[in-house]
Amino acid sequence: MTNDQQILDDLKDPSKKELAFKHLLSKYKERLYWHIRKIVLNHDDADDILQNTFIKIWNGIDSFRAESSLFTWLYRIATNESITFLNQKKRKSAINLNEENEYLIEHLESDPYFNGDEWQMLLQKAIATLPDKQRLVFNMKYFDEIKYEEMSEILDTSVGALKASYHHAVKKIEEYVKSNETVIRL
Amino acid sequence: MYENDHIEPEFLKRQKKNPFQTPEQYFETLEDRILKNITNENQTKARSFKLIKFIKPALGIAASITLIYLVMQAPIELRMFSKVAQKNIPNINATTPAEEYSFLLTSTDENTLINAISSGETNDQEDINQDEVLAYLSTGLNDVEIYSEIQN
Repeated sequence: MTNDQQILDDLKDPSKKELAFKHLLSKYKERLYWHIRKIVLNHDDADDILQNTFIKIWNGIDSFRAESSLFTWLYRIATNESITFLNQKKRKSAINLNEENEYLIEHLESDPYFNGDEWQMLLQKAIATLPDKQRLVFNMKYFDEIKYEEMSEILDTSVGALKASYHHAVKKIEEYVKSNETVIRL
Repeated sequence: MYENDHIEPEFLKRQKKNPFQTPEQYFETLEDRILKNITNENQTKARSFKLIKFIKPALGIAASITLIYLVMQAPIELRMFSKVAQKNIPNINATTPAEEYSFLLTSTDENTLINAISSGETNDQEDINQDEVLAYLSTGLNDVEIYSEIQN
């Protein structure tokens, strides 16, 4: 597998740009897809956002200054695209903060590509009740196992603030699960 | 700090599993679709760039012609305007009675005319002698009335 530095060097060379981009696509498409999917939950939305993300990467690769790693830069673009998408949806449907979670849960329940059991549905619903930032941090730490230092670069937030966000997210999920677990009684 | 002061909740001990799926062959076809989208976007950009490149000189020529027209037209219009304005000024140096009459008709408006008429009437009234008025009135009066009028 081609390493990131090699991909970056090739992307800056017009004669190798297309091939290098194919390498980048093949290396990161799944990771970015799952990152986006956990934010927006719905497959179709995730697909649209992923395509826009890669188009942005292609168009912006010349301005990438390598101040952060390629992986961080890609995640940052994907995260921004996902958050922008969610904000646009909220604005279009005039959703207030309380309804926002319901909107995500509705999407989750109607998604034909959700294959989890009742416990996983409960966990996803609990995650959907979190504020955007806590949801992001929890997903990145719990599912993607991204280090706080890397997360700090992606989300442009201090490590301390990220740890606090994760801690609050875990507490809230725990409370949600405890109060709703009896309903599904595992 | 947050990691150490908290006992790990039960749900975190459960086995993690990604509950989401994708349509069949999604990742296999993804690359082609993304590359196709990028190619389409580049073509659209190139087309609009070509169009702009094609239109740009024409727009430049059109803008230059408009500018030249405006620059040329402005003095002509100014000259035309001053000629028309000169034509419309009444000839106050007219000497013949017909010209004087024509000048009065064109330069006198309704209000001026009414003022002139009413001012004439006022002068007529001022010219009437007080004694004449009294004499006129006395024709319908008897002697006693005339005497009392004179006394007053």
